This record gives sequence, structure tokens and C-alpha cells, in this order.
Amino acid sequence: MIRIISAALRATVQDRGRFGQLRAGVPPSGPADPFAFAAANALVGNDPDAAAIEIVGSPFTFRCDDRRVIAVTGRDVALRLRDRIAGWTAVFARAGEEVRIVAGERSRFGYLAVSGGITTDTVLGSRATYLPARLGRALQAGDALPIGAMRVDPTRAGRTLVAPEYQDEQVRAITGPHAERFTEEALAVFLSSTFQVDASSDRMATRLGGPDVVARQGEILTCGVLAGAVQVPSGGAPIVLLADHQATGGYPVIATIITADLGRVAQRLPGEPLRFVRVARDRAVAALRDERRAFAAIA
Amino acid sequence: MSISVREFGESALLVEIGDRIDESIVSRCRAIADAWEAAGHGAAIPAYASVVLRFDPLRLDPREAEREAFGLSQRAIAIATVPARTIEIPTRYDGPDLEATARSSGLSVDELVAAHAGREYRVFFLGFLPGFAYCGMLDPRIVAPRLERPRERVLAGAVAVADGQTAVYPFDSPGGWRLIGHTELVMFDPARQEPALLRAGDRIRFVRL
Repeated sequence: MIRIISAALRATVQDRGRFGQLRAGVPPSGPADPFAFAAANALVGNDPDAAAIEIVGSPFTFRCDDRRVIAVTGRDVALRLRDRIAGWTAVFARAGEEVRIVAGERSRFGYLAVSGGITTDTVLGSRATYLPARLGRALQAGDALPIGAMRVDPTRAGRTLVAPEYQDEQVRAITGPHAERFTEEALAVFLSSTFQVDASSDRMATRLGGPDVVARQGEILTCGVLAGAVQVPSGGAPIVLLADHQATGGYPVIATIITADLGRVAQRLPGEPLRFVRVARDRAVAALRDERRAFAAIA
Repeated sequence: MSISVREFGESALLVEIGDRIDESIVSRCRAIADAWEAAGHGAAIPAYASVVLRFDPLRLDPREAEREAFGLSQRAIAIATVPARTIEIPTRYDGPDLEATARSSGLSVDELVAAHAGREYRVFFLGFLPGFAYCGMLDPRIVAPRLERPRERVLAGAVAVADGQTAVYPFDSPGGWRLIGHTELVMFDPARQEPALLRAGDRIRFVRL
């Protein structure tokens, strides 16, 4: 068991996402920052399908009944056990030892993985929490969650992964699928402007302010969407869809953030700048392959 | 019919078949989604005239995925994969937009209700919210453009119309459709074997209470 002593502003169990219910209109949910989530699992030796905890705010404090390898990833996060230990590092925690996650000023979404993974019951085929439809719930102080059998030895402790450049305001995107709905000028505005992250941003979307990007036609026939899609509503302020996005949408999608950079969009704080640079699909696949290689190197 | 296959990021494709609402196109989209999922490539999301096909580009080369998506879309024909059911939705016509919608349609409230309840609709697909089913088509006399300013909160069970279509809100949520009534049916319940009450391809009928 992992015992939650203090549950921060909001903490939820997440696995990679509930992709089997999209056709019933159920958002995939899963981690807002998929790279940080995958890294946390890789650090502690879990399968990519294992569930971990997504944490917003602080303080988040917990203990495990038995010894475990743990890791915290995300933007501007660290751990405190005996000492302060940097994020993105596998750490050995003794049975019953109290651990606190330290969220810095620039922290937004943190991920705590425990070797063995969180093994709460699945709902509709997944452990991903989606609060608006009450699929799972927010964790509370006093909760005790089951964890799987530990498969790695404590010598794993000390392995690290490199965090992405969360300070970098530029993210890569593949244009489309509705790029022709925009004039060349509108596309140029989109690719050359600096946008600001709006305070209303959440797990559903990163909403942007800045110059208007105007589509030729305001709405399209509703179609399926995915995390990373940059929708442009008729108002002209782009929206980058994240984990809790609706399965379908009615606004044209000017571009799609490459999967490797999606977490950096989610981790931008209100008021921070964001710029888009166009890349070809091959580059996006290469970036995913690099991620996979980094995880394999510490397996 | 022309089929286009577009990149949707590096891990998905968007197949488009035309750009209008038509029952045969909708069911063809569903057949494409079924075939893609049956091939084991990943999840698919069919809508009116398009299908999103997800895949893992480290397992399936994106160019290969495109070829396969194109071939499979050409072969897919609109067949009902599940026998169509008819589901009745007991409805109290008491929505806040009922009178205004009747007025803008040039109908009396009774005529509007008769027009809405007197017709069988087809479930096109689900989206927007868990269990939210896009159904159509409305009697063309019903004029109901989306609200210019969506409501911040529509209650679960609200029966709504917009742009030739009708739906029931499964959860309290923001919403831009015009509300003409409500039902007590639970449209989405994760504890049920099949959580969404309606599935694509179903026929539905609103029964006036």
C-alpha cells in the first residue's frame, strides 16, 4: 500500500489513458505531461502501462508499507526524504519512511511513480482518472492505494533521466489536418507570433492569448480530435488540447503539437509565452524514438 | 466519393469523406473505424464525415499507415455492424428555450413538440461528453441555430436541439444547444456494462410525458 498523508491541491491516479472509450465520447484523460509520466515509470522500472500519481500543487506527502524505488518527474519538482533529492531520479524509500514532494514555483504537473505501479481497480478498462464524469476521484489524505509487486532491486536508485527544457517557449508542431481552412497569412501569424498562456488553462486544454488567427470558416463538421491538436475557435485565440479533451470537436485544427513536446505545453504557467515552429512528421517520429532510447538505456 | 487521408500529428491520421451530414456517410465512417480497430492498429473516432485513426508510429510506419487507411476506406462500405435498436426517451417538454425555438420556427409550442417527438432519429456518433449522442435529422421546420453565447451550465438530462440535430446532455456541463425539455434517463453510467445508453447506429424516439 501507498498511504497518502497529504494530497496537495489535486492528486489523481493516471495511467497512459483510456483510449478504449473514445467512441462513447469519453475523453482519454491520462497524464497532462505524457513524457514526464513515462519517464517516472521508466525510472522505477515499471511498464509504460503502469499507473502513477499526477500531482498539482503542494504539499504531497506519503509513505509506502514496504521498501520501494520511487521517482518524481515533472517541471520544477524534487523529493524530500532524509535529504532533498532532485526530480527525475530513482530513489530508494525505506518501509514506512515519510516522503514529501517539493513543488517549486514553476511547478505545474508532477508525477510520482512507485515501483510495482498503482494497482487500483480499473474503470472502463483504465486507471486514468477523469473527474468530470466521476471516473476515479481526487486523492485525499488518509487514502491507501494498492501497489503491485516490486520487480526491481534497490540498486536501481540513483539512475536519472534528463528533464525536457521546460523553460523553452518554443514547441514543434505538424501543420494540419485543417491547415487549408486558414489563409497563408493566418498560418504565418500562427507560426511567427508569441502567444501567452491563459489562466483558464487546465487538464483539458492550454488556452492562449495573443494575435488572432482567423480561419476562413469558423466551424467545421464536428470531427474526432486528439491531445496536441491546436483548435482555433471563431474568436481566433488558439487552444491546445490536452489529456482531458473532448473526443470530438467542431473547430478547425491548424496544427498538431508533436507528442514529444506536448508535455512542455501542458507545463507552461499562466502568463508564460509559447511559440510554434513547424516540423515534418519524420522529425516528430525521430523525437519519439529518442525518448524510447533514453528509457531503454536505464531499463 | 472522394477520400482524403491527412496527417494528424505523427500518431494519427484524419480520413475525410465529403463534408455533409448524410446517414450513409456516417455509417461508412463507422465501418472504417471498425476495420481500423479490428486490424489492431489503435483506436478510431468516427464522426459525420471523417474518422480519426490513431496508431503508434514506432510500430507502424506513418506512410504505411496512410496506405492502409486509404485502402481500407475505399473498401469500407456502409453496413450496420450491430442490429439497430430503437430506444425511447421519455421527455418532459419544459426547456427554457422551448418557446423561443417555437417562435423562431414559426410554430406553436405544441406543433414544435409534435414535430420533435413525432420522428425517429438515428444516432450518428458520440462525442463532446461521455454518452453525448449526436442524433438527427430534425424536422426541417425546426429552426435552431446554436446559441451565440453558450450557457455556462446545462443540467444533465436536458433535451436539446441545434442545427438540424438533437441530443441529451449526459452531465451538467457548459453547452450551446437550445434546451427544449428534459429526461430522467441516465445517459452515461460507468457502472453499467455498456456505460453509454445510446450507441452509434441506434434509432431513438422522444416520448412526450
